[in-house]
Amino acid sequence: MTVLTLIEHQDGRADELSLQALALARTLGETEGLLVGPGAGEAAAELGAHGVRTAHVAEDDRLSAYAPGGWARCVTDAIERTGATAVVAAGTNRGNEVMAHVAARLDLPFAANCSKAADDGTVTRVRWGGSLLEEARVHGEPLLLTVAPHTVQAAAVNGGEAGVQRFEPGLDEADLAVQVAEHVETVTAGVSLAEAKVVISGGRGVGSAEGFAILEELAGLLDAAVGCSRVVTSAGWRPHTDQVGQTGTKVSPDLYIACGISGATQHIAGCKGAKKILAINSDAEAPILASADYAVIGDLTEIVPAITEELRKTR
Amino acid sequence: MRILVCVKRVPLTGGRMVLTADEQAIETRHLGFTISPHEECGVEEAVRIVEQHGGEVVVLTLGPPEAEEQLRDMLAVGADRAVLLTNDSGEEWDPQATASAIVAAIEADGEDFDLIVFGNESADSGGFQVGIRVAHALERPIVTGLKGLSIEDGKARCEQEVTGGRDVYLVPLPAVVSVLEGINLPRYPSVPAKLRARQKPVDKTTPERPEPKLEMLRLVVPPGQGKQAEVLGHGAEAAPAVVEMMREIGVTR
Amino acid sequence: MGKPAERFDDVPKRARAEATVVLGQRKLLQRLVPGLIHAAIFWGFLVLFPTIVIAMIGAVDRDATLPWLGHQEWFAVLVDVFAVLVLAGVIGAAFIRKVQRPKRFEGSHLGEADLILALIAAIVTTLLLWHATRIALDLDESSPVSGALGGLFGDDRTTEVLERVFVWAHVLIILGFLAYLPHSKHLHIFTAAVNVFFASTRARGHLEPLRFDGPEDDMRFGAGTVRDLTWKQTLDTFSCTECGRCQDVCPAWATGKELSPKLLIMALRDQVFEEGPPLVRTADGFEPSPLVPNAVTDNVVWDCVTCGACVRECPVSIEHVDHIVDLRRHLVMVDSRFPSEAEQMLRDVERASNPWGKPQTERSEWAERLGVRVLEPGDPPPEVLYWVGCAASFDERARTAAESTAALLEAAGVDFAILGPRESCTGDPARRMGNEYLFQAYAEQNVGTLNESGVTTIVASCPHCFNTLANEYPDFGGQYEVVHHSELLAQLVREGRLQPSGDGRAITYHDSCYLARHNDVTADPRELVAAVGEPVEMEKSGKRTFCCGAGGAHMWMEERAGKINEERARQAAETGADTLAVACPFCTVMLDDGVRQRGDDMRVVDVSTLLVESIDGV
Repeated sequence: MTVLTLIEHQDGRADELSLQALALARTLGETEGLLVGPGAGEAAAELGAHGVRTAHVAEDDRLSAYAPGGWARCVTDAIERTGATAVVAAGTNRGNEVMAHVAARLDLPFAANCSKAADDGTVTRVRWGGSLLEEARVHGEPLLLTVAPHTVQAAAVNGGEAGVQRFEPGLDEADLAVQVAEHVETVTAGVSLAEAKVVISGGRGVGSAEGFAILEELAGLLDAAVGCSRVVTSAGWRPHTDQVGQTGTKVSPDLYIACGISGATQHIAGCKGAKKILAINSDAEAPILASADYAVIGDLTEIVPAITEELRKTR
Repeated sequence: MRILVCVKRVPLTGGRMVLTADEQAIETRHLGFTISPHEECGVEEAVRIVEQHGGEVVVLTLGPPEAEEQLRDMLAVGADRAVLLTNDSGEEWDPQATASAIVAAIEADGEDFDLIVFGNESADSGGFQVGIRVAHALERPIVTGLKGLSIEDGKARCEQEVTGGRDVYLVPLPAVVSVLEGINLPRYPSVPAKLRARQKPVDKTTPERPEPKLEMLRLVVPPGQGKQAEVLGHGAEAAPAVVEMMREIGVTR
Repeated sequence: MGKPAERFDDVPKRARAEATVVLGQRKLLQRLVPGLIHAAIFWGFLVLFPTIVIAMIGAVDRDATLPWLGHQEWFAVLVDVFAVLVLAGVIGAAFIRKVQRPKRFEGSHLGEADLILALIAAIVTTLLLWHATRIALDLDESSPVSGALGGLFGDDRTTEVLERVFVWAHVLIILGFLAYLPHSKHLHIFTAAVNVFFASTRARGHLEPLRFDGPEDDMRFGAGTVRDLTWKQTLDTFSCTECGRCQDVCPAWATGKELSPKLLIMALRDQVFEEGPPLVRTADGFEPSPLVPNAVTDNVVWDCVTCGACVRECPVSIEHVDHIVDLRRHLVMVDSRFPSEAEQMLRDVERASNPWGKPQTERSEWAERLGVRVLEPGDPPPEVLYWVGCAASFDERARTAAESTAALLEAAGVDFAILGPRESCTGDPARRMGNEYLFQAYAEQNVGTLNESGVTTIVASCPHCFNTLANEYPDFGGQYEVVHHSELLAQLVREGRLQPSGDGRAITYHDSCYLARHNDVTADPRELVAAVGEPVEMEKSGKRTFCCGAGGAHMWMEERAGKINEERARQAAETGADTLAVACPFCTVMLDDGVRQRGDDMRVVDVSTLLVESIDGV
């Protein structure tokens, strides 16, 4: 099987999630990469270390700004060039969007957010943000799928250098009808939720908007971002931008501390990407304990300040 | 403005997943139901646009007969009309089939929709593709993952949140969009609105189901669930153990 | 302002209330000294009423009087005695108002009250002086007090003139008083007795339902403007005497919040007086303004915990809680204007059937662990259905009461079962929030489930569930024998089916508002406490209990200003007991929070758990 993998990249480096997608692609067969947009050439070079034989770089000045239709065209052209029988991308917003466009254009089925795939078209998909798995069979060729974030480990292999082939995609006007017109910078105070190494989240158990003060204090000591569950945003205690969950921000910190959060699947979907989860809860039977690595049982209004103090003492 | 919003009835699963014996569905006996969060915001957004520009909002769903409950809820929020594409097979339709049923319903409707709104992905199956397929079939532009939407001079100004800021797209109407929760805060419908919603029209048809190309074989509860968390302690006295753990992971300064 | 209210049932009960509350001054006497003072003035006026007629006759014709009564010597004595009592009362009242200055008068119109006291004193003084001059002129037989005063006057021309002066002064002051009445709170002398007659005869925890069938134009969604007020509510506002007893016992006011039941009723009264006349005069075309925020602020409406302390204290049977709930109904059901943190609770009740938003399937988890029977459709009904309630099903602190109760019922050999996932929220939090529509949907659903199951007896460990099942569900076709778990457990102990042992430790029992004040259950939980330890009472106990702060859906709302639960925890700590016994899941959680926040060394525990711990082998 020849597998084509769409690699997203930024500042000349391939994205972590695309490298994870690549790892799954390699289980299906020989992998070729596809990169689009400015900086693609740079990022292409390092793909050899991840087992990519040939990296195809689509070049067209009109693709300096992201256009989902344009990217989809690059993919369909690359399928023709490589004779790929499977196309894999990362399950990011962009990856899912581009692959859905490809599937619509080719009138083929598309399995989003897979954690496993086999060359006979059977896949395992992630549902409910990760709390449920679906085993399915895809009836169509090429096999189109995206890889659910943090379900597969990226792995470097001794692959030597990847050969880079540049090509010009056959773009037409319709492909560029939807394109980013403007980018507006927003200044975020403090650590961003999506990038923080430590995230401290509060749920119903925190009790009120003021109750978050103790979490903010601990976050200050750890350079952490403060998040919250959907119950908190619905109550108006914190803005939606702080919400961690299936319909909020999905985080992947080294440590995720869930304070007073019961652990609805909605929320778990947002924090499963964390390397380690610590649950602080007064209920020893709360569902979150089934998804956490560590737990402290008790009143978070006592525990969180105690941790803050212990950190200060032992610095 | 004529706006169509497509929604999906999903169960409120809470913290644990329990499957039916045949592993084909979640056991929903005793569970409550709602609409995917992204879609609720979609209906709210559509109603706000029509409140500002005038027009009509139609809500549509492909689902079991009970999905009429969700449609009535959305009629109470402010939609004018609803369409129920009845799926009484007891099985879910795959994204391609769903999209073609929606396209058929739109074409049967006759008059054009200026805007078609989807939630970015459904809470349960998370296919990420129905909106894009519908847009493609209707040959309309689609922008996904919106956190901001406004209509000016026959164009839709669409905002996506990306690292560092927002990306802005401008597309001419008619267009298709998919929105994310957080684009607005859905209103709490009044009781007079709920009572009036009982009288609003709900058109029902039963489309034929094509062969699934993304065929679900079975559902599986992931093995990670039921993991036992290591209890570091109780109450404030657990603090030293927690800090020790933080040191080991390497997150302390 | 005259929307219908169901207040014509149970006339005998209403008549009895009239006798005890109005004639007997029962509620006023809940505060002994001010009560006696008012009783003196009130009874005095009842006795002295004929003297007004006599004076008017006498003003016109010096030698005429009321037939028969005007000639009775015993009546003259009675008049003298009560005239003195009234004066004593006025002096006592003046002392309280001017020297003691109790805080309950904060916000009341003190000037008006002083004027009324002065007028009463003047009326009675002129009466005594008139009698005194008539006795001096030998026109009337002597009587003790008037006769003594009569000694001040000679039988001469001056006295003849004074006799005319006093009688006319008396009559004119009375007429002036009558003219002034409708413009002051003294209007209550006409409205209060009527208001007491029309007070609700249903249990205090019962709220009157709204109707959602019928044409929308006829529907009432609570009180949005003065036009929406029922006639009883309007009458309430005319009956307020600004005495402030309600304000004194309100837990919200006591913790520094905006709500004072007295100020609420006064504000509504002022709005009725302002907008009522134009509304009545011009049938169409006058749009009264929204009560919230024009008469009453949002904070005042939401601060209330529906504890009913105000209603209990009110001597003229004003039903403040009904007003608050009706205001909430309009805010929630029509305006969607309410604290945002409660919105999630309402959505959860609607979609997930419980205010915690957790799946119903979790309700039976604790029961399955203990082997408690879950009643399935079609099963034969148990002798007693244990209605667990949402708090005990989903909150781990409240859960221990359910586990204890189940263990005790098992040990006593009671045939019981729970509904498990088929038990939905009774709807109490939605109803107290003002979402009557959502409440009724669940009332109908639960009544359907219960009626189908054939259950006749229900025991509930939550006083809110207990109140709704016992007092409110009958309006929706649900008639069951409903007991609180403390009542059932106390009965089992009395019958010897449970044998607790006491260890003499000091335990103070906190009465839940919905149990003690709304439903008169105070003795049984105390029996349980006494069986296990040494009871120590808090000052505010029994029907005078001080709320834990969770009522009125406050379990799901934030508290602005001071904390009611901490204040109650302080009152408990003052007793010196190290165990605080409760009989309600909300009280359990609120008081446990309060104790922890204050750092007291007190264990908050349900009476059922205390009982379980004291019985060997359970």
